[in-house]
Amino acid sequence: MSFGESSLRASLLSRWLSERVWGLEHAFERARASGRAEDDTRLRIFFVLVLFAIGFVILAIGATRAALFSDAARADGRVAPAATTRADLVDRNGMLLAADLLHYGLYIDPREIWEPEETRRALLAALPNLDPNRLERALRGNRRIFVLGALTPEQRNKVHALGLPGVSFEPEQRRVYPLGTSAAHFIGFSDAGGEGIAGAEAALNEEIRAAAGGQIPLSIDLRVQGALEDELYKAVHEFTPKGAVGLVTDVHTGEILGMASWPVYDPNKPGKAGVYAQTNRAAATVFEMGSTFKAFTVAIGLDTGVATPNSTFDATQPFKLGYRTIHDYHAARKVLTLVEVFQHSSNIGTAKLAVAIGPQRMGDYFKRLGLTEPAPVELIETARPLTPKVWNEDAVASTSFGHGINVTPLALARAYNTILNGGRLIPLTILKKEPGESVEGRQVMSERTSLQMLSIMRANVAGEAGSGRSANIPGLSVGGKTGTGEKYDPAIRGYNRKRQVSSFAAVFPTNGPVEAKRYFVLILLDEPHGTARSAGYATGGWVAAPAAGRVIERIAPFLGVQRQPEIAEIAPAGATPVGDGQ
Amino acid sequence: MSLLDRKVRGFRLVDLIGVSLLVVLILGVYLAKTIAGRERAEIAAVERQIKAEQTRIRLLQAEVAHLEQPGRIERLSVGYLKMEPVTAGREATVEQIIDIARAGPPKKEKPVSIVAAMVNESDAIPGVPPPPPPEALPLRIAEASR
Repeated sequence: MSFGESSLRASLLSRWLSERVWGLEHAFERARASGRAEDDTRLRIFFVLVLFAIGFVILAIGATRAALFSDAARADGRVAPAATTRADLVDRNGMLLAADLLHYGLYIDPREIWEPEETRRALLAALPNLDPNRLERALRGNRRIFVLGALTPEQRNKVHALGLPGVSFEPEQRRVYPLGTSAAHFIGFSDAGGEGIAGAEAALNEEIRAAAGGQIPLSIDLRVQGALEDELYKAVHEFTPKGAVGLVTDVHTGEILGMASWPVYDPNKPGKAGVYAQTNRAAATVFEMGSTFKAFTVAIGLDTGVATPNSTFDATQPFKLGYRTIHDYHAARKVLTLVEVFQHSSNIGTAKLAVAIGPQRMGDYFKRLGLTEPAPVELIETARPLTPKVWNEDAVASTSFGHGINVTPLALARAYNTILNGGRLIPLTILKKEPGESVEGRQVMSERTSLQMLSIMRANVAGEAGSGRSANIPGLSVGGKTGTGEKYDPAIRGYNRKRQVSSFAAVFPTNGPVEAKRYFVLILLDEPHGTARSAGYATGGWVAAPAAGRVIERIAPFLGVQRQPEIAEIAPAGATPVGDGQ
Repeated sequence: MSLLDRKVRGFRLVDLIGVSLLVVLILGVYLAKTIAGRERAEIAAVERQIKAEQTRIRLLQAEVAHLEQPGRIERLSVGYLKMEPVTAGREATVEQIIDIARAGPPKKEKPVSIVAAMVNESDAIPGVPPPPPPEALPLRIAEASR
């Protein structure tokens, strides 16, 4: 409606109203003129009454409507406690990992307290964790102050039942990690202000805050995580390393299904754990992995066409390269096929293969496999690798069997995923991917190489000469590669044979087409100690492979991997060609 | 006689109607406010109750998650029930059941359970929950670690 129309309507209304009033006045005048003055007054009173009645009716209708249909009750502030600031974290099946839960803060107003002594005694009895000094300061103060936070509803009710004057509560949300130490490094923790500090809490901080009141599903499967942690801790108990890592990933999607790091800490009380325990060794620590790197060298050799599974390498003598001589840990002293080089974990054979590939191509492939950059994953802890400054023959020979290059277990897992999923380099993720969701990846190797590597890794576990045979689980077609990297010791300015990083990189199932469901498992122990059961050895085949096998045996049903009847699989030690991956 | 002049027991009819209307209105508003107030209090109480229940449900969900920690379940199942992860040797297909039945019961000399032994020894490891208190089921724990 235009301004002109509205002003015209207003003037018509005022004219109509004034005409009615004047008409009424004239009626009164006429009544007075006819000698009926009493009617005149009564009429006035009547009309005033009518006007009041109309006003009253309008007010009554308005009041009734407001009373019946207002939502004032919702805004009275009594029913809405403090709002959550962070979304719940759940595993891929909806199991709760982290949540904001309603707690209460305890406040004391000394001006309302009649008997401070009685209040002090009752509060200390009801709340054993209450700091007496803090309580004393509150009781002696002159204003209402905060005394203790994070009271559970039960604790609040307990204090409330005491009926103490001057003691009150304020609702507050507190981040709680109900699983305690389970998946602690993966989930991480947040500070009292609701900001993520470590793990998924820090990695997805913005998303978690934006989705407050909802849920964010993470990639881990709590059942897988439980089995992984259990077997890792058993290995830790047996071989007493200074640190340990367990990882389970889906090679096709890059989802991290389980991630364990030892020592552990409780994210509910992160301050009580030191930095050493809080460190996520899967993401933030780099290791010289040792022989698990041989899988990459063999894969590169196959992919470049430099070698086939039946290519032979003379390992009868140590390999002299410049100023250094490369030996085998378990010297076979014979000519080995490529499969045997892998099975015997021959440093000589691998170094010769790497030299044949050439520094340029080796460096290029390592880059393509993502081994020269931090593993791209949401976790902020992911560490940068230590790589050779120059890719010359010496560097290539060392890195071919996992020396002279330090990477995180996550980077190792990503590179293994690549050689096992058909040759696609995909990022790892801590977020759940929906079934059928496409994953962007760069093709860095051929599918044929991938199938060959699956066969060779299977041979290393199934074959009697394989170094990973203790991880063999009937019917699950497990493949893998052991790794034992000696650690550099600054005290002796060289590698210390007694300080090792022992690991086992496994994949299952190795059979089936390249796109079949397939999972990677890594068990790594940092400086384990041999026991009588391991015949005094602390190498990957003795300390990590059995744990990896047990993990696979336990998680296979959760991941929907069915046991297959044992079939004539890869024959040991290069007796038959495995090039077609069948 | 007009409506304004009609009287009932000395009172003008129009006045009586007006007063009656006023009384009805006052009573109506009073009743509406009273009933609405009661309803409002009831709604607020129900909403408070819903909120409290939701809070309680969240607490219970967290408690369930805490009690269902994989490590805790593992420890309890080994300690109290002498259960352990199923190995490949203990799995069978439906077709194999007849063969297993024909083979008869397994030998009584069951090998020492490595899992049970390790779990029961594991109280010294951070991250591995301690075994259940010995007074709860001392016999079973002793058997498991024998």
